Amino acid sequence: MRKSRFAALACALSLGVAACGGSAPPGAADGGDGGGSGETITIGSLHPLSGAAAADGQQMDNGAQLAVEAINEAGGIESLDGAQLELASADTQGDPQVGQTEAQRLIDDGVVGLVGTYQSAVSSNVAAVAERNQVPFVIDVSSADQILEQGYTNVFRVQPSSTVLGERGADFLAAVAEGAGSDLPRVAILHEQGPFGTAVKDSFSAQAESLGMEITNVASYDPASVSDFTTQITAVEASGADVLMVAGYYRDGVLVAQAVDTVQPGLDAVFGVANGAFDVPQFPEEVGAAGEGYFDANYHLDNTNPETQELAALYEERFGDPIRTAAVLSYDAVRVIADALERAGDADPTAVRDAIAETELDSLLAADGPISFTETGENENATPILMQVIDGAVVQVYPEDKAETEPVYPAFPSG
Amino acid sequence: MSSAPDSSARAVEDPDSAVAEPAEVAGDGQPEGAPATMPAAPRARWARSVWVRVGIGAVLVAVAVLVAYLRAGNGEVVGQAVVTGLLTGGIYGLVAMGLTLIFGVLDIVNFAHGAFLALALYITVVMVNEFGLYPYLALLISVPVMFLLGAAVQRFVLAGAMGKPLENQLLITLGLALLIDNGLLLFFGPNPQSVDIPGDQGVQILGAVATVSRLLAFGVALLLAALIYLLLQRTRLGTAIRAVAANEAGAQLVGIDTRRIFAATFAIGTACAGAAGVLVAPLVTIEPTTGELFNIIAFVVVVLGGMGNVVGALVGGLIIGLTEQLGALYLPGQSPLLSVFIVFVLVLFLRPQGLFGRGTT
Repeated sequence: MRKSRFAALACALSLGVAACGGSAPPGAADGGDGGGSGETITIGSLHPLSGAAAADGQQMDNGAQLAVEAINEAGGIESLDGAQLELASADTQGDPQVGQTEAQRLIDDGVVGLVGTYQSAVSSNVAAVAERNQVPFVIDVSSADQILEQGYTNVFRVQPSSTVLGERGADFLAAVAEGAGSDLPRVAILHEQGPFGTAVKDSFSAQAESLGMEITNVASYDPASVSDFTTQITAVEASGADVLMVAGYYRDGVLVAQAVDTVQPGLDAVFGVANGAFDVPQFPEEVGAAGEGYFDANYHLDNTNPETQELAALYEERFGDPIRTAAVLSYDAVRVIADALERAGDADPTAVRDAIAETELDSLLAADGPISFTETGENENATPILMQVIDGAVVQVYPEDKAETEPVYPAFPSG
Repeated sequence: MSSAPDSSARAVEDPDSAVAEPAEVAGDGQPEGAPATMPAAPRARWARSVWVRVGIGAVLVAVAVLVAYLRAGNGEVVGQAVVTGLLTGGIYGLVAMGLTLIFGVLDIVNFAHGAFLALALYITVVMVNEFGLYPYLALLISVPVMFLLGAAVQRFVLAGAMGKPLENQLLITLGLALLIDNGLLLFFGPNPQSVDIPGDQGVQILGAVATVSRLLAFGVALLLAALIYLLLQRTRLGTAIRAVAANEAGAQLVGIDTRRIFAATFAIGTACAGAAGVLVAPLVTIEPTTGELFNIIAFVVVVLGGMGNVVGALVGGLIIGLTEQLGALYLPGQSPLLSVFIVFVLVLFLRPQGLFGRGTT
């Protein structure tokens, strides 16, 4: 009895807090006939604003907010008489159940589309809700392949899928090793055990083996509870690997760097694939010299794009924190919906969905081309690029057209 | 006094459960501080059973290491796993000590323990990064602050719920945890923080490596366990705490102010979290939710070691640490929690009162 009352209270509390962020008047759900001047159109933003992923979640919500402001400043949605956009932010707490309820609430409030959510498990649930309600859902971050394998017609993804990340990661590793005149490395793999890490590991090892690399050792771990990697790194050393591939999140990435520094396994490189730590600006700050030379093949904001540089500067000025790639993805996801509204000239979710399917929009991320969705909703031009920590900063090193400097391989002088 | 009669479940460092160190037993065959009224025969039988348990434990660990060696086929990896397991286990024990004390004496399932730990982590961050203090000197601030906070929380928040149904205290501590976690999120933001120990190098131990900060945390865990053990066994306060744990009504009858003992015990338990926070700070990425990482493991350790038994918490921590590391060698690709819970369920099946908990017989 008491327990259920408490649960209800907790729900009510979190709903209340979330509602404060976006107490928007119902948007234009019923305004399917083109809207009028001064009308406000609401976009839902679903991210983990509290909980373990709050650092990324808050960045992403900020990114979405900046996109809305930029569009409003540029005159709103012109085809709808300059209708203004508004962001309704909700906190998923990283919990699939909460994400599902919040998505339904936002849809009931009349949002024209949703962006989110960071965790693949949350995105899966939100995708189901969006599909049921025929409201478009643009995924900014969530890599699990399965989300878009359900035959949904209202779900789109801006970032590359796990499969693309793993395959390109293996390509990059081979290219960098060959470019440095080294033999193809023997690779040990350390991955988080969830769907994300497992999918990246599978596609990476398949591609690496087809390129002629030998996989010496595969180990997985639970990112929520792991507290030390010295045993795993000692096993990597014993396997005789030249390169350690790591697919995981931030906290565990830091622990890996600390363990590699302690054990000194004599590797040529530590090579992250879609790693949540090695390409984050805070990583070199936290681990210091231990992180020098770390690679990460990951989707990333394009430092060579002037528009992205502008956004990064604006973000740092507004929020006093260097922008992360996740925030740029949210920024792009909101732009996708705004662009669709513009072309549809209609704030009806179904019309917006149809317009999103026809998207051709330049991305602020490093990509092969403009954002453009396949039949299943994948962004066909999404790609990872290769970053490396050089002199305490994360820089783009490969492919050449996105590179700020040359990759350093072998990455460790002692290697 | 709803909890008075069936007090056997709440055994804090009761003499016949406290002899975790075989050396103690070897000394005189009967632990000091054992009540004089205890009949000789059960005591001898009990001492034998501890030896048997220690022996079985040692054999099991040896077998586990041997099997790990056969499975991994590499001595270096197994050696590293054992060293890492023991060191990590020491940290688990350190975190669980305060929790087990609160569990044993106040009968409170303290879900806020992880949050208290997080608070101590942030105290360390502020001391080191704002005031330039050497990290371990933060102990001088963190321990007293957390002690006072613990006393205040018990006195002003939990006192009204003492003796009430379990859910009351459970929900209060859960609420406290949410409050602290989200307060930290509000004040410090979600970005990860870190504490650096200058010159924290890896050192070689028996062919394995470990950082100085981990060795230090392990050493202090042992020291703290010894201190709390002495406090409970050799001081008036400790005797009073044990008396309250054993029989609250009885303790009141002999003139012990149970309200003060409750506050003191909760404060000591929270101060343990304060000490653990400082020692763990260099080893983890500090985020508002970091304390939660330790919550599940800490509860497992507390139940495994026997509720209320500080030495049991330390031994339980070491067992869980070893299990995690060796389990990763047996079952590669599985969560370390899988092997932890296999061991946990096995131990509870064989000894429902925990390794060092006193049986209800």
